[in-house]
Amino acid sequence: MRKRVLLTSAVLAGGAFLTAAVAQEQLPTHLKELLELGMHPGHAYVDEGREMFHTPGPNGKSCATCHGQDGAGVNGRLNLQGAYAKMPRYYKDIDRVADIDTRILACMTKYMGYDKKDKKFMKQFKKWSGPYRVPLASYVASLSNGMKIDVKLDDPQEKELYKMGEKLWYMRVGARDFSCGICHTVLAGKRIRLQGLPDPVKNKVYAHWPAYRFGSDRMWTMEDRVRSCFKAYLLYTKQWSKKDWVKKPPPFSDWVIALELYMKHAANGAIIEVPGLLR
Amino acid sequence: MKKIVLAGAFVGLGLLVACQPAAQKAEAPKAEKKAEKKKLSSKEKFKIALANQDKWQKACSNPTQLVPEGIDIETFKKEMLATVKFPEGGVVGKNIARGEKLFGDPKKGGKSRRGNCYACHCGDPKIIACGNIGPSLRGYGKRGIDPKETYIRIYNSWAQNPCSVMPRLGYHGVLKPEEIADIVAYMHDPNSPLNK
Ligand code: HEC
Ligand code: HEC
Ligand code: HEC
Repeated sequence: MRKRVLLTSAVLAGGAFLTAAVAQEQLPTHLKELLELGMHPGHAYVDEGREMFHTPGPNGKSCATCHGQDGAGVNGRLNLQGAYAKMPRYYKDIDRVADIDTRILACMTKYMGYDKKDKKFMKQFKKWSGPYRVPLASYVASLSNGMKIDVKLDDPQEKELYKMGEKLWYMRVGARDFSCGICHTVLAGKRIRLQGLPDPVKNKVYAHWPAYRFGSDRMWTMEDRVRSCFKAYLLYTKQWSKKDWVKKPPPFSDWVIALELYMKHAANGAIIEVPGLLR
Repeated sequence: MKKIVLAGAFVGLGLLVACQPAAQKAEAPKAEKKAEKKKLSSKEKFKIALANQDKWQKACSNPTQLVPEGIDIETFKKEMLATVKFPEGGVVGKNIARGEKLFGDPKKGGKSRRGNCYACHCGDPKIIACGNIGPSLRGYGKRGIDPKETYIRIYNSWAQNPCSVMPRLGYHGVLKPEEIADIVAYMHDPNSPLNK
């Protein structure tokens, strides 16, 4: 924990003036330079995740009990090296398609003695700065570094969710008539206020997620990214107002996983390099 | 110490809430409906939010994000125009300062939650953080455009350009007719920073 904070502030001290003074188009090179200097604040999350991976849960089991030391598997089973490259995918033991966040939650509650009904635990789990979800996702994802994204869509549930994701991508809805496709397909390359709009589908951005974002000074999983993008829609239940604003889809929901599946399938063949580093 | 007391209060509240459904189930269906509304889970809320998609949004929800073949653009525009409500005091409002704030508050670097025009347009040269999605509105008031056209554009841009990426802020009730009239006043005022 301490390590993470220290490293972050060290990089920020150098990074702050960059963010302020340099146009965003140029920023990635500067961030790359930081990377070359070995100053990647995301690595602290990976380290924290590795530690958590080997820490026993309430029933005495750790992730490593089943998935092996450093996720290398036990007797050739449940090896996590390369697992992230094929996610989201269907899992028989939970009978659903899961992304990395959802899969980790399932393992913790199903196999390690953590309780889904324990509000305190769930809050800690969902939390951006919590000790479980983001560090573990960053760590597990990093075990697929250098490998090609390879989402298959073999299972009927995967196919169905993929279709849902594609539909959601283009779905105009909410008080601003937005869709993912408006900002990221039609307007890709344009600037919304000062932020450049990327094309996550064409550019296979999934290869660098989870990513550390300087703007918010924290690591984001793709769940965080997708859910936050929905805030711009101004969705509502009855009539849009500050009170009736439906900001985000719930975490671990099919809506989120469907969009992830759509984008990750589009990123097939791209080489995973995480944690990413973004503005 | 305070924390514990506060936590106690929350638990109390939690119990109260938990007791409500049973109590209300026994009552008339109307009351039940009310309770239901309060108790919507985040999942149900999101489902409703997506189901609120209107038929025009649905038409635009294709990979081109434009009016698809088979839908008549002129009819689309007419239907959109029919939704536009005009304010009693006319399309040019009186409160120019409020119009400016809704367009983009200069005190907040041009941000405004509901209008947020600078996300896509440039305008006041002092506001540097402006998008390039829509055309620049610099000098807009000098172009001889009928303020009524401006009003309609902001109320329901799809009356002029169906499926446009410019949100229909009046149509959705994000901006009230009087507020839009104030924005129009700000945009057409010769002394507005847009037009100087
Ligand atoms: C008691 C054993 C057990 C423990 C402990 C456990 N898991 Fe799992 N894990 C499983 C099983 C079983 C699967 C499902 C494998 C399958 O269906 O291919 C799985 C699947 C996964 C997957 C997806 C693997 C793939 O090939 O797609 C990930 C990632 C994962 N677990 C991470 C974790 C993490 C992180 C922890 C610790 C927080 C953890 N697991 C703890 C048993 C366990
Ligand atoms: C109003 C415009 C807008 C909409 C609508 C929108 N996004 Fe975004 N999105 C952004 C912006 C701005 C960024 C951040 C770019 C940056 O970091 O500089 C972003 C970033 C992303 C990224 C990361 C891109 C990268 O470079 O790694 C993904 C993935 C993404 N959005 C997915 C989605 C999805 C899925 C939806 C639909 C649910 C969506 N977005 C809707 C504006 C939007
Ligand atoms: C999401 C982006 C977006 C936002 C937000 C937005 N606009 Fe637009 N606007 C556009 C686009 C794109 C056009 C170009 C015409 C079209 O595509 O419909 C446009 C066109 C216009 C025009 C016509 C300009 C001309 O040269 O004829 C006016 C006037 C206008 N917008 C005003 C506003 C005002 C006022 C606001 C804030 C209340 C606003 N817009 C918010 C995207 C946006």
